[in-house]
Amino acid sequence: MTARGAASPWGRPPLEPFAAAVTGIGLVTAAGVGADAAWQGVCDPAALPSVGYRPELDGLPCDFMYTVPGLDTRAVLGVAAQRLMDRFSQLAVVAAREAVADAGLGPEVWDSGRVAVVIGSAHGGLPFYDGQHTALAERGARRVSPKLAPLTVVNGAASSVAMDLGVHGPSQAVSTACSSGTVAIGTAHQMLRTGACDIVVAGGAESVCCRLLFASACQMKAVSTRRDDPGAACRPFDIHRDGFVVGEGAGLLVMEHPGHARARGAAVRAHVAGYGASSDAHSAVAPDPDGLGIERALRTALADAGLVAADIGHVNAHGTSTVANDLIEATMLHRVLGERPLVTSTKARTGHTLGAAGGIEAALTVLALQHQLVPPTANLDSPDPRIPVDVVSKEARPGVFDCAVKTSLGFGGHNAALVLTK
Amino acid sequence: MSTSQEITTLLVTEFGTDPLAIRPEVPLRQLRLDSLALEELRLLIEDRMDIDLEDVALTSRDTVGELVAAVHGKVTA
Repeated sequence: MTARGAASPWGRPPLEPFAAAVTGIGLVTAAGVGADAAWQGVCDPAALPSVGYRPELDGLPCDFMYTVPGLDTRAVLGVAAQRLMDRFSQLAVVAAREAVADAGLGPEVWDSGRVAVVIGSAHGGLPFYDGQHTALAERGARRVSPKLAPLTVVNGAASSVAMDLGVHGPSQAVSTACSSGTVAIGTAHQMLRTGACDIVVAGGAESVCCRLLFASACQMKAVSTRRDDPGAACRPFDIHRDGFVVGEGAGLLVMEHPGHARARGAAVRAHVAGYGASSDAHSAVAPDPDGLGIERALRTALADAGLVAADIGHVNAHGTSTVANDLIEATMLHRVLGERPLVTSTKARTGHTLGAAGGIEAALTVLALQHQLVPPTANLDSPDPRIPVDVVSKEARPGVFDCAVKTSLGFGGHNAALVLTK
Repeated sequence: MSTSQEITTLLVTEFGTDPLAIRPEVPLRQLRLDSLALEELRLLIEDRMDIDLEDVALTSRDTVGELVAAVHGKVTA
């Protein structure tokens, strides 16, 4: 490893590398609810994720998605609390409670004014919005709920988590489409580095079982239409991939200033050591065809962590199962990191959870570092021969690695990369 | 079902209110019904009882009994 920090064109000394401690994780996914269940769900080749037909999407070319199984949010959160949240916020609160408990934190431990919340989401409460638009169109203005704004704003998850935890530090949303969760964690890394807070609950949340959105996604030809076999529709890096499959979920990390974690004797799962972001400035939906944007983000994250390509042993890729993303991303990973990293996409087990994906996949990367085990890319039966990296398939593969990368690309050209270390 | 029972049912099922706390003299804010919740409750009552409460002015300082009376007045109007 070389400690060189991030380069500055203005002659300022580079920032010293800063490794935020990850002391807790919370996962609410179609692969399982809770970190242990989700990890088992992505690692076990025989596990069956919760994916299938949804009546809300009936008649559309894509009428299926990944959903969180067996979670009664009314019972878990209480009727009064869940009433003021759309489902993406509810999932975020469930994940936040798990992450904070996992970290051994709570009101008796923290200074609530030094605890921040940063949660990414692409669409916020779009399902509620869609329902209220229908009410307006069919029944008139006086049938529209007064809760539209508080439930649909993208910051709903962050504010709901802050209220549920009773924390008073900065709280905010990040919205950069499908890289939102990754950018949220990067933002948290920067907040801890600058001393804005001691603890951040950071990641992403999304739930968009929404006829309006799916109708548009089908028109865009971005989603798989393999209706005869929804469980096999998402197949990252496979020659027969035909688009992504939407999923719902939330994935949050508890990140702490390393000094704060050390002072309280916290068990540290891993570290967020570097962050980079970039913009393609190319297309509203398509990634830069040469992957130059995500390459810039990844190289920035490596420099931020003071690491070089050879240090990276594992990548949890964006790997959406679209024809364009998987080839462009894998080619870029090979160009920057070479052949060493064990690459996976966990989306065939969680679905593409859009703004939540970076949070969920960063948490899974933390678990990969801890277990020294890379989950398989499910449904990768016929690898695309043009994919130049070592994609783990069929079953989880043990490895020896101290450093890993999480990459994310969002509609609009929002690229982000995290470097995580043991 | 009486007006009082209808409102109690809505408060318990939709707002998670403790049924024992729903007494005529209790201010609505004591049941954690803020202005937003009160507007939501108004919509729910209108839908459930097929009445129009637009000209009924209630705030969270009013009591359960005053709410029931206002709704009952519309039901019987």
